[in-house]
Amino acid sequence: VLTASELTLLGRLDLTYRRPQSGLYAGERRSPRSARSPEFSDFRPYVSGDDFRQIDWRAYARLEKLMLRLYVAEEEACLNLVVDSSASMALGEPAKWPAARRLAAALSFLGLAAMDRVQVGTLGGGRVPPLRGRDGVSRIWAFLAALEPSGTGDPDALRQLRWLRPGVTVLISDFLVEDASWAAPLAALAARRQEPVLWQVLAPDEERPTLAGDLKLVDHESERARELTITPGLIADYQRALAAHRAGLTRASQAAGGRFLFSSSADDLEATMLAGLRSGAVRRG
Amino acid sequence: MEFLLPLAGLALLAVPAIVLLYFLKVRRPEVRVSTLMFWRPFVADRQANAPWQRLRPSTLLFLQLAAAVVLALGLMRPGLIGAAGVDSTTVVMIDATPSMSATDVGPSRFGAAVERARSLAGQLAPGQQMAIVLLGDHAQLLAAPTGDAALLREALDRARTSGTAGDFAEGISLANSIVTGRPGGSIIMLSDGHSRAPTSPPRVLAPFTYVSVGGTGENSAIQTMSRASNGAVFLRLANYGRTTRDLRVEMRADGRLADVLPVKLEGNTTADLTWSRLPASTQVLEARLTPDDAMALDDAAWLVIAEPPHHPVLLVTSENGFMQRALKLRPGLDLTTVKPADYKPGRYDLVVFDGFVPPGKLPEPALLIDPPAGQGPVPLGGQIDPGAVLPADPRDALLRDVSLKDVHVQSAAGVKVPAGWRPVVSAAADPLLIVHEGEPRDAVMTFDLHHSDLPLRAAFPLLVKNLLDYLLPGGFENQVYAPGQAVGLIAEPDARWADVSGPDGHTTRLAAPYPPFTATDQPGVYTVRQQLASGVRLSRFVVQLQDPAISRIVPGAAPLIQDVERSRGVLPRGTLEIWPWLIAVALVALVAEWFVYLRGR
Repeated sequence: VLTASELTLLGRLDLTYRRPQSGLYAGERRSPRSARSPEFSDFRPYVSGDDFRQIDWRAYARLEKLMLRLYVAEEEACLNLVVDSSASMALGEPAKWPAARRLAAALSFLGLAAMDRVQVGTLGGGRVPPLRGRDGVSRIWAFLAALEPSGTGDPDALRQLRWLRPGVTVLISDFLVEDASWAAPLAALAARRQEPVLWQVLAPDEERPTLAGDLKLVDHESERARELTITPGLIADYQRALAAHRAGLTRASQAAGGRFLFSSSADDLEATMLAGLRSGAVRRG
Repeated sequence: MEFLLPLAGLALLAVPAIVLLYFLKVRRPEVRVSTLMFWRPFVADRQANAPWQRLRPSTLLFLQLAAAVVLALGLMRPGLIGAAGVDSTTVVMIDATPSMSATDVGPSRFGAAVERARSLAGQLAPGQQMAIVLLGDHAQLLAAPTGDAALLREALDRARTSGTAGDFAEGISLANSIVTGRPGGSIIMLSDGHSRAPTSPPRVLAPFTYVSVGGTGENSAIQTMSRASNGAVFLRLANYGRTTRDLRVEMRADGRLADVLPVKLEGNTTADLTWSRLPASTQVLEARLTPDDAMALDDAAWLVIAEPPHHPVLLVTSENGFMQRALKLRPGLDLTTVKPADYKPGRYDLVVFDGFVPPGKLPEPALLIDPPAGQGPVPLGGQIDPGAVLPADPRDALLRDVSLKDVHVQSAAGVKVPAGWRPVVSAAADPLLIVHEGEPRDAVMTFDLHHSDLPLRAAFPLLVKNLLDYLLPGGFENQVYAPGQAVGLIAEPDARWADVSGPDGHTTRLAAPYPPFTATDQPGVYTVRQQLASGVRLSRFVVQLQDPAISRIVPGAAPLIQDVERSRGVLPRGTLEIWPWLIAVALVALVAEWFVYLRGR
């Protein structure tokens, strides 16, 4: 799914979690809990029952008060990757599906490399059980490689994904579903302590359509048709509507404590990751 | 209001055609997209599955119909009768004399004159009209009075220089007929002053403006090239300019350079050259002046060296030394002279009967001089006193280079010109020389040469030469003609057809009765191939400019005219055409339609 040079690129990147993550096992993500670890966090006064070994005697010498030294707990985080494998993802020039699959593979690699618990599934319901460590890379990639775009991508399907654990949920999709609202499903995710990251992948000809003249446009998922005479004015209308749609997705994701970003199916992985860096979803490791 | 081009109303058929297109469902190619959510339907687009749909009001439809109707109305050229004043009609006369081809002004004098006329056409204001007259051998109306600049420009595109000097009198006559009844008319002449001047200044019925075209008069020419009996080639060169010129004459034998003769010619002088190095078996000799000058037409001369076929000619006369000597001047003529009593019919290409007509059928062709009354092909009447001798038609080819100014005839026989004959030389009332047009070629001179001073004039041998050209089969062979001059091609009696090839290679096929060949605008050697029963007979003639009046290209003075009192009346009212405004309205409708289409609303 990814080439050696792309893996080298990913080796220099890491995922960004806005909130400290609490997991079952120790990991590399900052936890809301305190624990013994090399990373100092804070001091607090000694209370009865505390571990004597954590008393900072140097602080006692200066303050003549017993102070306990606290350390940051590092635990695993949970990365939920939801890929939209609806039929519309097969469209575009170049097609969106290979770009979305490559993006999912890259993000899963970043999560597994950071010892996060990574789950990958589709809006339709198929998924790979939670995996941890680099050993899981091959299983996730095999799952992604076996997927083919089909069906529809209904936002309400997000509510049905019971396998999502608290953590970051990255939804990779074109978000082109007619008469659908993403606000309510995203709010539901937030209620389940999910930090939603909406990553939109569109083809260049969907961002700047090159169509012209008398055409019959057919929705690839719903098979609904609309006959249009496409003019520069109509193209401008299209671009305005797309910008408004993205603004709506941004508002919905921010309301749910998450973020929205987009990349092009024509981008290579480096350009795609740059989009992640710009939005803060990815950082340099 | 009237429509000047009502037939263009057929363009209104576009209206039902546009409506029909709106009834028809557009067959659109199918494109699959990820979503339709951003494609908002355009008002003009409707979803329908039938090939026909109900017509609904549409801004586009309205604008398209409006543009079609207005365009159709514009094409019909509506005009408001009497709304425009025809304030002037300009007749532009363009001189097409060969000297107008001089290139002392760019691209040539003629080109500059045409450009000037084109500019005048472009400056026509509404209501003004312009006509174009081309002064060639005859005046030609290139464009009747019109205000349409496009028509005038199209007519000017057809204008070409002529082979002979323009006829000013004919041009003025044509221009007068145009401006008659148009009080606001005027005449503009674009010329270099070399058109043929009439004997008396013509009357001009409108203000006349002469615009001189041309710069310098620097030009040199080959005036004459001929071959003497000893085989030497004689050349006369002329420098019509003021400056001394170092010239070279290239002598080409059958296209191959044979010699170059350097000549230094002072201004307004001539020089004679004799050249005797003519290669044997040369068919055509060409002499060409270099370097080039303002007029290329007179820089070359040709001489057909090939021996013309010999013509047996019989002169039947008691005693006529004048005619005998004139006939002998023509090379290739085997002349036999007999007394009338000794006359016997034989195989002759021409028989000249002087004061005698044989009984029975006349041999063909025949020239009859002073036939006895009641004899010959034309009934002659009693004796008349001819008085002044005049050309019947000064442009008659038989009178080429023939001046009848000092010719007198003491007495002649009266004759009425029968059908099929034409007079060549006339007295006040009766003709003196008539020729039969077509076959058989005959000519009748109605007076005794001894009763006239014609044989003593230079005109006589020239007239005889011209008559021989006309009467003898192949009389044109090896002869030199002026550009634009009609050449009478007398073919051999058994010729099926004759192909005439010009210097540019263009070939014209002529067949009996062999009308005069008129496509002689290009100087050079013309080849005539006669298809005989026994094979092909090849002969040539030459067309070249040897007219000093035209070669002297210094721009001349304005021609003399008679100004007459012009009538002053109310200017006529013309029709104001409103199609430009209609086209503008249609353009606005189309721009609006395009704007609505682009906006998608």
